[in-house]
Amino acid sequence: MTAISHTAASLDDAGEPRARIASWGTLLAAPYALYLVLVLLVPLGIVTVYSFFTYSTTGVALPVLTLRNYAQLADPYFLRLIGRTAGIALKTTAICVVLGYPLAYALARAKGALASLGFFLLLTPLMVSPVVRALGWYVLLDRNGLVNTVLVACGAGRQQLLFSEPAVLVGLSHLLLPFMVLPLVASIERIPPSLEEAARNLGASPLGVFRKVILPLSLPGLISGAVLVYVESASAYVLPALLGGRFVRMIGNEVYDALLVSYNVPQAAMLTVALVVVTIGILGASMALARRAIAVGRASR
Amino acid sequence: MRADGAPDLRVEGLVKRYAPQVTIGPISFEVYPGEYLSLLGPSGCGKTTTLRCIAGFEELTAGTIHLGDVRLDRQPAHKRNVGLVFQNYALFPHLTVYENVAFGLRLARVDRREIDRRVGAMLELVGLGDACRRLPAQLSGGQQQRVAIARAVVMEPRVILFDEPLSNLDLKLRLQMRRELRELQRRLGKTTIYVTHDQAEALALSDRIAVLSHGRIEQIGSPREIYERPASAFVADFIGTANLVRGEVLGAVEGRLTVAVGETLRLIAEWPGPAPRGALTLMLRPERIRIDWPGSEAAENRFTGTLGDIVYLGEDVSLTVQLDGAVELMVTAKSDARSRTLVPGARVALSAEPADLHVLAP
Repeated sequence: MTAISHTAASLDDAGEPRARIASWGTLLAAPYALYLVLVLLVPLGIVTVYSFFTYSTTGVALPVLTLRNYAQLADPYFLRLIGRTAGIALKTTAICVVLGYPLAYALARAKGALASLGFFLLLTPLMVSPVVRALGWYVLLDRNGLVNTVLVACGAGRQQLLFSEPAVLVGLSHLLLPFMVLPLVASIERIPPSLEEAARNLGASPLGVFRKVILPLSLPGLISGAVLVYVESASAYVLPALLGGRFVRMIGNEVYDALLVSYNVPQAAMLTVALVVVTIGILGASMALARRAIAVGRASR
Repeated sequence: MRADGAPDLRVEGLVKRYAPQVTIGPISFEVYPGEYLSLLGPSGCGKTTTLRCIAGFEELTAGTIHLGDVRLDRQPAHKRNVGLVFQNYALFPHLTVYENVAFGLRLARVDRREIDRRVGAMLELVGLGDACRRLPAQLSGGQQQRVAIARAVVMEPRVILFDEPLSNLDLKLRLQMRRELRELQRRLGKTTIYVTHDQAEALALSDRIAVLSHGRIEQIGSPREIYERPASAFVADFIGTANLVRGEVLGAVEGRLTVAVGETLRLIAEWPGPAPRGALTLMLRPERIRIDWPGSEAAENRFTGTLGDIVYLGEDVSLTVQLDGAVELMVTAKSDARSRTLVPGARVALSAEPADLHVLAP
């Protein structure tokens, strides 16, 4: 097997310079890491400290440590708020997965002008300011909006569409679909079409090809897309404020009110920390679940 | 070997049109049980398209494909019972060697112990019994190749297709894999269609070769027929090296054709039928031309020329000889002690048997 040892040797030769580039690469990431520490970690630390301070009617907060802010979480109002926020984020993620996978596959396999047009259309939601986009949906879903006009014309009757969870879900998934599709496209593009053909040749139906080849091989893209969509929708503010109104409040709206309406800075800080903790918890749990699903899928037939 | 009776696979009038300008076919051929048929041709000749039509990855514009009595071209790709070994192997990178080979059996819901038995036996057969748990990326090119073959063969397809399976390997490994493929074929006796642009591979492996050019089959026959009796100048030139000489027919006597090449050269070729009229092309393989060393016996066709280029190839020397009739010939001679005396510019006497002068269809 001289050929094998030859291949191994040439790999070793190539390995060393690549390792050197990798260490340079780490260094190149340093400015951004510093930036992150300054604008993310330090403020987050300050917020965390504030969440343990005492509410003051006269100042920002009293620097007296207390757990009273966190005790508020036992209040059913805050529990429902957190549950609603996590629920809306999960549902948005699910909608984006279902809508995004076929789209990502089509875009990954499309060629030329069709692919360019597809990417352009995909990115249109990001080209409009968040408020304008939300207002657009507001107009569409209003009692006298386009959707209701069509519904009435079809005989389905006028519906209350705004200020409901579905309205928020529609707005969020419209905005966040690109965050799901782009990482998926990147993953699917790297799967050679010949793998799909090989699976077909071995008896896999189109659905089987998806389950056995496309899904496992694009899982990294699916996970990054899902994380992006979940985090973005869990921290949404403008869309739930405009499309959900007083009925579909999310943590972001509550933080805003605590900070700028009732001037309860420690409560706003506590809610922010709660959002971060819940988000990390749910992401961690989903990752573990995904990893187990893969392991089970591989062990079984 | 070619068996009598019904063919395993029958391609009739296959046409594939990509654009108005790019059409492949019509192509028709049959593959018999246990036969090893190669589709040989330069890139763009339609060999891979033909294979992809059989596997179901391309739709035919016209024509039919039958597997036994079953009309194949209407079936979806995953219901065809035709195995395919890909040029780049197309192993599933997220699955181990075992899982790759078991992929089709698992989809077919074969009993678990049966899968174990068949995959184990198959991996043993291709010499990868110890590599079950490894991932494709941990294997060498030759080993990946064997997994790809095992994965196709374990499904026990009626016909197995190879799409240039050795073209990604370096020369030494290619020769080794070629021997292994022959050995595997002998043991399995599978009906095989083998697509390649490498004529040496086709000659070494095939029972029959179909030579394709510009979307048509130029000739189909045994390796010996293809090499010694090419049907066209294209086949003669594509398989091995050929000296093609244009000449005028002077006449035919007792199964021998006399052809005038230029002013002075007269060549005699074996020719069974009545004399054709006008101009035709004669083919003469370089290794069938003899150098008439002093004292050795010359063949019937004799000609002399001036030595041009001399290329030393180890086993052989390849010579260019400018004949006295303005014709240039490639000559291959053994690189024995006598060949050392050859120098550029020297006069050299050559000869060839009439049986080795092959008349190409005019």
